[in-house]
Amino acid sequence: MSAPSAHDVCIVGGGVTGAGIARDLSLRGLSVLLLEKGDWGAGTTGNSSWMIHGGPRYLEFDWNTTRLSTQDAGYIVSIARNLVYRVVFIIPVMPHDKNNIERMETAMEVYDRFQPLKKAHPHTRLTAAEALQVEPGLTPDLIGAVTMEEWGVDPYRLVFANVQDAIAHGARALNHTRVVGLVRDGGKVIGVRYRGSDGAMSEALAKVVVNAAGPWVPEISHMAGADVHLRPAKGIHIVYPHRISNFSISAESIDGRDLLMVSHAGFTLLGTTDDDFYGDLDSVDVLEDEVDYLLQAFERVFPSIRAYRPVRTTTGVRPTLFKWRRYEDELSRRYEVIDHATDGAEGFVTIAGGKLSMYRLMAEQTSDVVCRKLGHQAPCVTATRPLPGNESDVEPAAELGRRFGITALAAMKLQTRHGSNAGAVLKDSRSGRMICRCEPITEAELAHAARHEQVRTLADAFRRVGLAAGPCAGAACVLRAAGVIGSELEWSASQRFEAAREFVRGAWLGRAPVLGHSGWAQEELAAGSFRGLSS
Amino acid sequence: MARADSLAKLAFAYGVHLTRRRLTRPRSQLATLLETYAHDGIRPLLPEERGRHAQLIGCINCGLCALAAGRVGKVRLPDLASSYMRLYARLGEAASDVDGDSPDLEAAAAACPVGVPLGEVAAIVRRLAAG
Repeated sequence: MSAPSAHDVCIVGGGVTGAGIARDLSLRGLSVLLLEKGDWGAGTTGNSSWMIHGGPRYLEFDWNTTRLSTQDAGYIVSIARNLVYRVVFIIPVMPHDKNNIERMETAMEVYDRFQPLKKAHPHTRLTAAEALQVEPGLTPDLIGAVTMEEWGVDPYRLVFANVQDAIAHGARALNHTRVVGLVRDGGKVIGVRYRGSDGAMSEALAKVVVNAAGPWVPEISHMAGADVHLRPAKGIHIVYPHRISNFSISAESIDGRDLLMVSHAGFTLLGTTDDDFYGDLDSVDVLEDEVDYLLQAFERVFPSIRAYRPVRTTTGVRPTLFKWRRYEDELSRRYEVIDHATDGAEGFVTIAGGKLSMYRLMAEQTSDVVCRKLGHQAPCVTATRPLPGNESDVEPAAELGRRFGITALAAMKLQTRHGSNAGAVLKDSRSGRMICRCEPITEAELAHAARHEQVRTLADAFRRVGLAAGPCAGAACVLRAAGVIGSELEWSASQRFEAAREFVRGAWLGRAPVLGHSGWAQEELAAGSFRGLSS
Repeated sequence: MARADSLAKLAFAYGVHLTRRRLTRPRSQLATLLETYAHDGIRPLLPEERGRHAQLIGCINCGLCALAAGRVGKVRLPDLASSYMRLYARLGEAASDVDGDSPDLEAAAAACPVGVPLGEVAAIVRRLAAG
C-alpha cells in the first residue's frame, strides 16, 4: 500500500450530491478527494426521471419545499444551460380520476406562483378537443387537460460537469474506486481505505469524511459505527429510443399514483414505480409486472403505447429518509445533513435523502456544515457560477458542423453535452467520423471522453456521451467504439473484445423485460452484428 | 403542521378558483400554449402522423435502405430514420442537413425489413425542421 494522501475533505459517493459537494468545497478553496465505486452518476442519479422539477406534489405537504425546490431548479437551469431543455406536460383528466379538472387547475394555479423561480411558463387549460389537437394520440375519453412546464436534464453530464469543475479547482476525483473501510483514531474518523480501479489498496487521510453514498449511506455509516436509517424505494422506467410525443403526458396508475411519460431530448422515459426495496443494492432487477403496471396506466390515456418499441429499462433505488407506516408514494423527498460527532464519529458527516432537483442546495448545506467543522470561512458560489461549457454562448450548430465537416445535428448533440467547449472536443483529435450514428457520436468525441473524461468502460461511454443509447442499442457501434476507446487506453485486441462483450451482457439485462415483437427483430440484428458477443 | 397549513391554503385557492370560474367567461388558451413553446420546437404531430407514428419511428438501423438509395440532402437514409426522427424539438437547428435532393424513397422503403415508410419519415423531418 502506498503512503496515504492527505486532504481537507474526502467525499464518498459520486452521484449528483457527492459531485455537487466536491465542486462546492473545491470552489471554496478546500482540498477534496471524491471517490465513486462505479461510474459518475451510475446509481440513483442516472436512473432518475431526468428532470429538474419543482415538485407540485409537495404543495399538499409543504409549500416551502416547493419554493426551495423551484428556486434551486432555477439556479441549476442558469448554470447548466447546455444540459437542460423544457419539458411540457399535458395532464389529461379522465372520468373517475381522483382529481377533477377544477382541482387540477387549482394546483397548477398555485404552482404558477413558483414557476418564475425556475424560468418556467404558467399552465394552460385545454378542452378535450384542444388537448387532442395538441396530442392526437390521447384517448378521446378525456374530459379536459391542464399543462405544466418542467425542465429535463442529462443527469450523467450534470454529475460529470460538477466533477470536471471540482477537478479544475484542485479536487482529485476517482471513479471505479470502492471505499472498503474508514480510518479511525479513537473517536474520530480521519480518512478512508479504498480499492482503486486497478485493484490496489490505498488510504487517504481527511479532516472530514462526507458520506454522500445515496442508498448506500447506511453501509458507509456502519463503517463509522453510526446508524442512518433509510427507507430505500425502487423505481423503474421504460425507455423508448425516440420522442413518442413532443409533449410529455401524465397518467394515473391503477392505485392512484401519478405516472409520467417524459419527452426528453431524443428519447422518452415512462415511469416510475415506487416500492420498498429490501434486496441487494448492487443488483436491482426490473420485473415484467412492473413494466405492465406502467403500460396499463398509460394505455388508459394514450391507447397506442404498446405499439411502440421500448429499447431498455432502467432501475434505481431512492435514498428516502426512514418513516414508519406510510405508503411509499407519500414519503417526503426531504433530506438531512447529519454530523455524527454525537455518535462517537467526529469528522464524519452524512447527507441523506433529497432529490436531483435540489442537489445544489443539498451540496451547499452539507458544505456549510463541513466548513463550520473546519473553521473555514468561504461563501458558496455554485448558485451563480456556470458549470463547464456554460461560460459563453454556443455558436450556431450548423456553423460548428461546417467548420468540422459534420452534420448540424451531430454538432448540436455535441453542444448539448459539452456546451461552448464543443469545438475544443472536435479539435482535440482525429476526425468527425461517426462511431454511433443514432446518437450521433464522432470518433473525436469518444476519444476525448476516454482521454479527458475518465471513461474506462463502454458503459462509462454510454453515460458520458450516450454511446448505444439509440434505437439500434449498440448493434452498429459497440465493436467500433471498443476499438476507439481501446486505442486510447491501450487495450489489447482481447481486452477490446471483452469490453464489448461486457457491455452487451449488461445492456441485455435492461432490455430483456421489454422485448416485444419488433424488439426481437432488432435483437436478431444485434446478435448478428455482435458476432458472438452476446452468446 | 406544515401539511395542515398546505391543505388549508390549497382549499382556499380552490374556493378562489371556483369563484373565478363562475364569474369569468373561459377563453381558449390553445393558441397561447402553441405560441409559448414554438420557439422550443415543441409542436404537435399531425393526426395522420400520429396514426402512423409507431411505424415511422420503427427503424432498427440495419442500413439496408442506404444500399437502395442515397441521401436526403446531406443525410444518409438510415440516419434520417434512426437519428433525426429522435429529435423533433430541435430539428429546426439541423434544417440545413435535410435541404436538397431526395432519392428514390419508395425503393428504400421496400428494402426496409421492419416496414418504415421512409417517404413519410422524410416528410415529417422536413416539416418539423422547417418550423
